[in-house]
Amino acid sequence: MVEFLQFLVPGILIGGVYALLASGLGLIFGVMRVVNFAQADFMMLAMYLSWALFAGGVGLDPFLAVPAVFVLFLVLGMAVHWLFIRFVIGKRENHDAQVILTIGLGLIFQNLILIRYSSEPRVVAPSYANAGDFIGDIFISRVRLYAFLLSVLVAALLFLFLNRSRTGRAIRAASENWEAATYMGIDIDRTNRIAFGVGVALTAVGGSALVTFQSITPFVGFRFVVVMFAAVVLGGLGSVSGAFVGGVLIGIIQSVSQVWTSAAVKNVWVFALFLLILYVRPNGLFGKVQRAI
Amino acid sequence: MRRVVPFIVLIAVVAVLNGWLDQRFYVRVLTLSVVWALAGVAWNLMAKAGQISLGHSAFVGIGAYGFTILLRGGGTSPWTGMAVGMGVAAAVALVIGLPTFRLRGFYFTLATISFPLILELLVSHYGDPELTVPFHPESEWRFMEFSDSHTYVWVGLGMLVVALAISELIDVTSFGFALRAIRDNEVLARAVGIRTVAWKSAAFMISAALSAAMAVLWVKAVLRVTVAEEVFGITVVIVMLSVAFVGGVGQTWGPVVGAAFLIPLAMFLDDSIGESVPGAQELVYAAALVLVALLIPRGILPAMEKGCRRLAMWPRPSLEQAGPSLLGRLAAPPPRPSPLLRMPRRSPRSRLPQPSDTPVLEVDGVAKSFGANLVLSDVAFSVDAGRRVGIIGPNGAGKTTLFNIMTAHLQADAGRILYKGVQVDRMRAPRRYELGMSRTFQVPQGFHLMSPLDNVVVAAIGAVMPDPVAASMAMLERVGLAEKALGELSALTTAEIKSLELARAMVSDPDLLLLDEPLAGLNETERIRFFATVDELVAPHTAIVVIEHSVRSLIQYVESVVALDEGRVIAHGPPEDVVSNPRVIEAYLGSRWMERARDR
Repeated sequence: MVEFLQFLVPGILIGGVYALLASGLGLIFGVMRVVNFAQADFMMLAMYLSWALFAGGVGLDPFLAVPAVFVLFLVLGMAVHWLFIRFVIGKRENHDAQVILTIGLGLIFQNLILIRYSSEPRVVAPSYANAGDFIGDIFISRVRLYAFLLSVLVAALLFLFLNRSRTGRAIRAASENWEAATYMGIDIDRTNRIAFGVGVALTAVGGSALVTFQSITPFVGFRFVVVMFAAVVLGGLGSVSGAFVGGVLIGIIQSVSQVWTSAAVKNVWVFALFLLILYVRPNGLFGKVQRAI
Repeated sequence: MRRVVPFIVLIAVVAVLNGWLDQRFYVRVLTLSVVWALAGVAWNLMAKAGQISLGHSAFVGIGAYGFTILLRGGGTSPWTGMAVGMGVAAAVALVIGLPTFRLRGFYFTLATISFPLILELLVSHYGDPELTVPFHPESEWRFMEFSDSHTYVWVGLGMLVVALAISELIDVTSFGFALRAIRDNEVLARAVGIRTVAWKSAAFMISAALSAAMAVLWVKAVLRVTVAEEVFGITVVIVMLSVAFVGGVGQTWGPVVGAAFLIPLAMFLDDSIGESVPGAQELVYAAALVLVALLIPRGILPAMEKGCRRLAMWPRPSLEQAGPSLLGRLAAPPPRPSPLLRMPRRSPRSRLPQPSDTPVLEVDGVAKSFGANLVLSDVAFSVDAGRRVGIIGPNGAGKTTLFNIMTAHLQADAGRILYKGVQVDRMRAPRRYELGMSRTFQVPQGFHLMSPLDNVVVAAIGAVMPDPVAASMAMLERVGLAEKALGELSALTTAEIKSLELARAMVSDPDLLLLDEPLAGLNETERIRFFATVDELVAPHTAIVVIEHSVRSLIQYVESVVALDEGRVIAHGPPEDVVSNPRVIEAYLGSRWMERARDR
């Protein structure tokens, strides 16, 4: 039982970060029906930014850098939408173009970083990186706890933004029925741009939270891309709150599977679950979710 | 002949290059161009059905590991290993495909990502992450151990030509028609008898087998060692995607054009600046993907075709001299005679016999609800052979839902559908079409990338007709669309689209024809003509069920009417009786109107 809890607790903590990563992907799909294969590479970029701020002389703690990361990636996401994504939105025959465009953008990010920083793994180790507390027999890592708390905080802010602000409501309306939203005078292009920016920024913040216990390479995104998709599909494609619950579940499964099988194959369980959900309940665990929130 | 020329060009170009190029690096570029063209052709087979797979490295990995393990274990020839790998890959494709093909669009693409990831993790952890391919100099051909690297190019060219021939063969037979129909409109394809899962599975299996074959050549000629991270890796898929999308997605020759363009570019760039710029190759593929997505989403080949046509159109002929100039004739899209489809595939399934004392259609206690919304409840009526029945009812009465249940586009919650006395509830849409049920749609459906003729040909193929093209052309003549048969679907008027729908529904000579609001959008003359055309086309044994809002036109045509309101049958009988039934008038006009009518 203790052994089980020793895996369960870190699973919940990392799951919180997965949830944050996935909520960005879920928001983007929910609003503009684009599956963004470059999402995990935005996370990778954010990890390099956090590393640069930390190791590059400024010595900024990655958790304190979060507001800056959020704003920068909000702008970057809106720029990417304006430069590329908006041209492939809408029509059904754009589906192929969306897939190859986002795959291509992700590859460009990876290789630009590779050219600039080489493939050498980078680590961000603040002074408290190895600190932690015991609760009973269970060790709780300080950085993972902070990452989890950050994710919960950002989720709460996201909830407020989507439910209380005018723009947030416009995003929700667009995700529910973008055609009807245009009749209500919502500027769909602007809404999409903001949603894409916010979605990218959420995932970027998740990357900043990861950076204290995950080494960084230009190709680190690929390890997370299916984890993010699994979380999003588990919670119902297009649902932000579903993506959040899905992320936590994936974290738990990934971690607890180590009770039975080697840590090296922990992602096999995640991928298998992902397939199972797609086959059995393609609309997600919580039934018919077509809405974004 | 038109189809042979590209083969000759390809063989000639590769042969000249292979004879002329001497430097090791150039031969390597040539080899890899052929290898990736082959991979792209394999991947593209799935794209013909509109399915974007990101999981093909699973099959490449199976092919690579399969032959390496056999060669290391018992000294099995790589050729045998290739055959085994192809078989295993095809079997895995079938197992993967059956559940995955139920998913559409994004879901299919998402699902395919995880297969190579799972295999790579399992192979790396429980097997060997890396296997060297043993050196067997004793027999060049038996062990694919060529001392002259040019021989690998010849072998690769041979495999590429075979793959291209398979792809061409698919294009010109009913197989290709089925795949294009699925890509275009899967729901409609199922409604005209195309067994979508079977066709997609077949394409996926061939595609997987070719990918596994490509892996053997790739490892033997270039890699020389089988590494799980490489053969199962995402880069394999990215190169496949790049060459296919750049050349032309779903087009047989697309990947050849794409590979000829991209692979040398990527390799020369890598050779010249690769030292200082490590990701140069990948950047080429990435830039190609982004540019294609934004500029020519259908690829170079279709873009070139369009460009040539436009060039020939220039200068634009003015309205006065719009006669068929030489340039104009060159510019016109070549009339594509639909290819011969007389390949004996399977014998037509015998339709069910029609027992003389049994109705063609019996609807028995059918109920359906969407969530809490009850759409149909306890609907029951029957239609005898050769009879015409109308279904009327206000919007939302459940008429179209009833049709969708009859043709298996929806499953009823309760009740039975009997067709010629046989319960058909468990039969899927293509099977019901084969048995002689046929329909049109409230919102007219079409395969928009096909000509009107091919739209009907798909339905004829679905009905397993002996000569689909001839039957379809004859049907188009009868509905008056012969002149537009090879044009574009978007050029048809509403009335012509309705005629096309009718031709498509009638080409199988159905025993039961379901028409869903056939008169919507037609003017008075077209309405009268429509039913006249139907009468000319249908055989005496064919029963017709029509949903129609234009009650006046309907009651002149049908022999009995079923009135639905809020999912229930409220009247059933001869047209005059039903339309004068107070409940029907109330359903249509509301109770207040009834009171006023009574007062008068």
